[in-house]
Amino acid sequence: MPDQINAYLDSDYEAGFVTDVEADTLPPGLNEDVIRFISSKKSEPEWLLEWRLKAWRDWLKMDEPRWAHVQHEPIDFNSISYYSSPKSLEDRPKSLDEVDPELLRTYEKLGIPLHEQATLAGVAVDVVFDSVSVATTFKDKLLEAGVLFCPISEAVHLYPELIQKYLGSVVPRRDNFYAALNSAVFSDGSFVYIPKGVRCPMELSTYFRINEANTGQFERTLIIADEDSHVSYLEGCTAPMRDENQLHAAVVELVALKGAQIKYSTVQNWYPGDKNGMGGIYNFVTKRGVCHERAKISWTQVETGSAITWKYPSVILRGDHSVGEFYSVALTNNFQQADTGTKMIHMGKNTRSTIISKGISAGKSQNAYRGLVRMNPRAEGARNYTQCDSLLIGDRCGAHTFPYIESKNASAVVEHEATTSKVSEDQLFLCQQRGIDPEKAVSMIVNGFCKEVFKELPMEFAVEAGKLLEVSLEGAVG
Amino acid sequence: MLSIVDLHVRVEGKDILNGLSLEVQAGEVHAIMGPNGSGKSTLGYVLSGREGYEVVSGSATFEGHNLFELDAETRARAGLFLAFQYPVEIPGVSNMEFLKASVDAVREHQGLPPYDAVTFMKLARQQSASVSLPPEFLKRGVNEGFSGGEKKRNEILQMMLLEPKLAILDETDSGLDIDALQVVAEGVNARRSDENAFILVTHYQRLLDYIVPDFVHVLANGRIVKSGGKELALELEEKGYAWLEPEVA
Amino acid sequence: MSGFDQNAAAALTSRADAQIWLEAFRDLNRQQWLASHWPDRKTEAWKYTPLTPLAQGDYLRFPTAGKVQIERARYDIPGLDCQRLVFVNGEMMPELCQLSPAREACCVTRFCDADEQQQALITQHLGKIAEATDNPFVALNGSWLEDGVLLQVAADQRIEEPLHIVHMTTPDQQAFSVRQRLLVALDSGAEATVIEHFTSDEARQNSFVTGVSEFKLAAGARLTHYRLHLEEEHNIHIGGVYAQLDRDAHIDSFFLGLGSRLTRLDLRIQHQGAGSHAQLNGIYLSKGTQHIDIHSTVEHEMPQGSTSEVVRGIVDDEAKAVFNGRIHIHPNAQKTLAELSNRNLLLTNTAEVYTKPELEIYADDVRCAHGATVSQIEDLSLYYLQSRGIDRKEAQVMLSFGFINELIGALRHEPLQRLLRPILTQWFGKDSGLTRHLL
Ligand SMILES: Nc1ncnc2c1ncn2[C@@H]1O[C@H](COP(=O)(O)OP(=O)(O)O)[C@@H](O)[C@H]1O
Ligand SMILES: [Mg+2]
Repeated sequence: MPDQINAYLDSDYEAGFVTDVEADTLPPGLNEDVIRFISSKKSEPEWLLEWRLKAWRDWLKMDEPRWAHVQHEPIDFNSISYYSSPKSLEDRPKSLDEVDPELLRTYEKLGIPLHEQATLAGVAVDVVFDSVSVATTFKDKLLEAGVLFCPISEAVHLYPELIQKYLGSVVPRRDNFYAALNSAVFSDGSFVYIPKGVRCPMELSTYFRINEANTGQFERTLIIADEDSHVSYLEGCTAPMRDENQLHAAVVELVALKGAQIKYSTVQNWYPGDKNGMGGIYNFVTKRGVCHERAKISWTQVETGSAITWKYPSVILRGDHSVGEFYSVALTNNFQQADTGTKMIHMGKNTRSTIISKGISAGKSQNAYRGLVRMNPRAEGARNYTQCDSLLIGDRCGAHTFPYIESKNASAVVEHEATTSKVSEDQLFLCQQRGIDPEKAVSMIVNGFCKEVFKELPMEFAVEAGKLLEVSLEGAVG
Repeated sequence: MLSIVDLHVRVEGKDILNGLSLEVQAGEVHAIMGPNGSGKSTLGYVLSGREGYEVVSGSATFEGHNLFELDAETRARAGLFLAFQYPVEIPGVSNMEFLKASVDAVREHQGLPPYDAVTFMKLARQQSASVSLPPEFLKRGVNEGFSGGEKKRNEILQMMLLEPKLAILDETDSGLDIDALQVVAEGVNARRSDENAFILVTHYQRLLDYIVPDFVHVLANGRIVKSGGKELALELEEKGYAWLEPEVA
Repeated sequence: MSGFDQNAAAALTSRADAQIWLEAFRDLNRQQWLASHWPDRKTEAWKYTPLTPLAQGDYLRFPTAGKVQIERARYDIPGLDCQRLVFVNGEMMPELCQLSPAREACCVTRFCDADEQQQALITQHLGKIAEATDNPFVALNGSWLEDGVLLQVAADQRIEEPLHIVHMTTPDQQAFSVRQRLLVALDSGAEATVIEHFTSDEARQNSFVTGVSEFKLAAGARLTHYRLHLEEEHNIHIGGVYAQLDRDAHIDSFFLGLGSRLTRLDLRIQHQGAGSHAQLNGIYLSKGTQHIDIHSTVEHEMPQGSTSEVVRGIVDDEAKAVFNGRIHIHPNAQKTLAELSNRNLLLTNTAEVYTKPELEIYADDVRCAHGATVSQIEDLSLYYLQSRGIDRKEAQVMLSFGFINELIGALRHEPLQRLLRPILTQWFGKDSGLTRHLL
């Protein structure tokens, strides 16, 4: 790489600061008592405690998955604290005015559109600060439309029948090692229910942020779109800078009933660790949706953060004519490792899926796409198209593709294509020759590379995502 | 020979032909002209039995058969031939094997025995020479890597070998140089007789200088909006389609 | 039934006196076989290929030597000028072989006839190209090794006539194992063609074949290679082809897999010198309850290499096909060009295709592309044929055949095209109404 790019270096993690809020935190360690404590803190019903305990027992028997193209020291699950709640929130704030001002300043620094910004942007934000949802806006307006949007801990009390019916229905308790752990200790997360035929009047949004040292964050999100309803959900994640690795193991379940559409967009900017690979979030996430007849689930993700990303937002195309989409940009720099992709499980007739994955590797990072497309014998006329592109910046990183294709139906069509390219000196030279500085040139090229994915993001996110790539790429080349 | 009455055809939910009627008698040559996207190719496809072309209403009778009850191969065997606007490339299947399979199938339908390999080879060579297609083209994959003109000549070659009663030539003249055009015209003229009929889909008067049509029709918005004799083609050449607009609308 | 187990397989030894100089090699391989993990569903490289068929018969014996009459038509490739070695159940049949007189430029030797120099060459390369550590069945093959074939071509020598090695299996009283080993060493600038031809004499078969081939190509050497798996359906074949290419070396390899109830073939090309090139083409056809698994790995270790890999498969009935094509670009391998395409036709809803075209890339200035499809025959092509009067079913067969015929047409040796076309045609069924227009 030429020197100009060498110069395009070194920026600090912009979201890296620690909020000084007195926290109510459990000592590190995981045992039955911890799970009982979490459950009782939330005054959960007996069945949920039982559910957690079963998950925990399953988890004890499971092994950490080793197949991903990532390397890390073994995680000591007993050195993690499984509950942290900002203390001043023991009595939940009734309105934003009651929210700890320190917290609000935190959000401001992150640029979360909470106050007027939120109103202007028409965004309802359910903020998860460490483990407890602290504020939910626009609840009333949503309620008017019949949309339920609240922390899942509240939903357990308010809508027990929905929770009992759907929790774990898409990602079973013992689905995988991290999902089982999450099921045992999940702290909080969002709950959304869109009634039949309702088009959710605004984009729903949650910002996740890991704050407390040594606190794993285990949110659990459940979105149910009833028949013929529509919802678009945005998730943004950041975490402060720390030397140690922090664990994050979330579970997101989406249920799209007949004719419903769910669009789930993520911008993930957890702390990636420093330039030497110290610290950063371990992000082991299970996201999955199930589509009933004619339903559609669309996952869009821009993953720029975390030391390790292990994440495969998937769609089970159960109903005939249902549609699954996955649009992903994953950028890794320095010592980051990402192993991300999707699974499209075609069960119904004439189901369709599209996978567009853009991996950008820089520094000494490793970036892998891992995907599964499965056509079951019943999936008559099903179609999949996968396009999987990698862009390498510098010669010390890795870009990998592991697409599993399984077809058991003769009339189904699966198409997979993958390419790799690099930011070439010719391209840079051309830009320079036209008076564009190299930093700008790289970011232009990268943005162009990601265009197909960005156009799937809601407007305000698309802009943010572009900026995020630019920031994350700093120091990438050399 | 062919009678189309009030034909409505839909493709992927879109109405393409909207009440098209056309009578073709044995011995006649009809030219169909019309702006791009007016449904000319659709007509050829729906008559020859391509899947995905939904007949909403109307009928098409060919030699007394309801065409829409027959599958594509049966229509071909009954003597209906479509020269494709965009001939399909089939790598790995040699042109010769393709031609023989096709001719054998049609002959079998007529109660004739298949040609033996040698006789057929001779015949195919002879005919390909008559459309100026060098014999190597018989060995290559069907249309594989053929130029536009070679593909069109290969279509005419198939027509000569299959000896259809009704041949629909969908812009077979487009993109051809004058020599190739003459080859196509000679092929058609050689087969012109009291028993055979042709539908020529074309944009250009040029082809009609060589193959003089009995009737000229203008297809617009999925219907025949004007019919006439060969002079109509000249008029169209001169004025374009715009003057028909009121009739189109 | 004792089945096939790891310890028992290790206990089965060759004749104690067989090639003492190979004893150390066998020992080492036996250790590795015992230390290796028996592949199961959780073993990534064997995820879709259960080894249960091996357990269904006790293959743990070597065949009783028996003279058999073999018709020439069973192994001959008409019109091919070649040197030929014919093995029946692993035993060489001198009267069926056809070797040119020994000359300096080129030697074809069995391991058991190798002179000291040749022994040294064999020891130098054997097991270094196909490593027992990365595939347990290579280790098993090695632990049973008592003979093999060495082809050695001297620098800048071009050997016109291919070496045709026929491995014929014929049924024995009880199930048995056959092991094959081939070592090809081409010195710099040397050129040769090798045809590995696995076949059997009748439908009833009860053998388990392990055939491992190792190719060492020095700078600028060129090898044309064919590996034909034409065994009858009752065989099991687990084998591999391993090649190392030095600077500017060139391999052009083709495989055809259509026999055996279980076939597993590992192909590995290591580009160890700059500017080497590999063309890998292959066809697999699987029907009935056959299971075929092709694992190809291309290692680009040095700059400026190129690989082009085209593999097509057709899977019918209740058969299964697995294709895993891995391209690995090492940090040093700048300016590599690598392309891989795997296309599959799936003919029934009870057949299964598993494909995984993998890329692992550690160098930035490279151009890599891979693609995989699983589908049916294209509608438009089918319609074109139908619109010419051809019966739909026949058109389907013609198009399926065309799908693989493209690769057959690319074979450099025409006699092989002539040999394979009828065999492939047969595969599409004995109903001549459907196949009469092929060829
Ligand atoms: N498969 C298809 N799906 C959707 N629209 C189609 C399809 N095929 C043709 N059309 C549309 O039908 C119209 C007529 O097409 P065509 O018959 O090809 O016109 P022409 O041959 O007269 O140029 C065009 O508007 C074209 O876009
Ligand atoms: Mg047209």
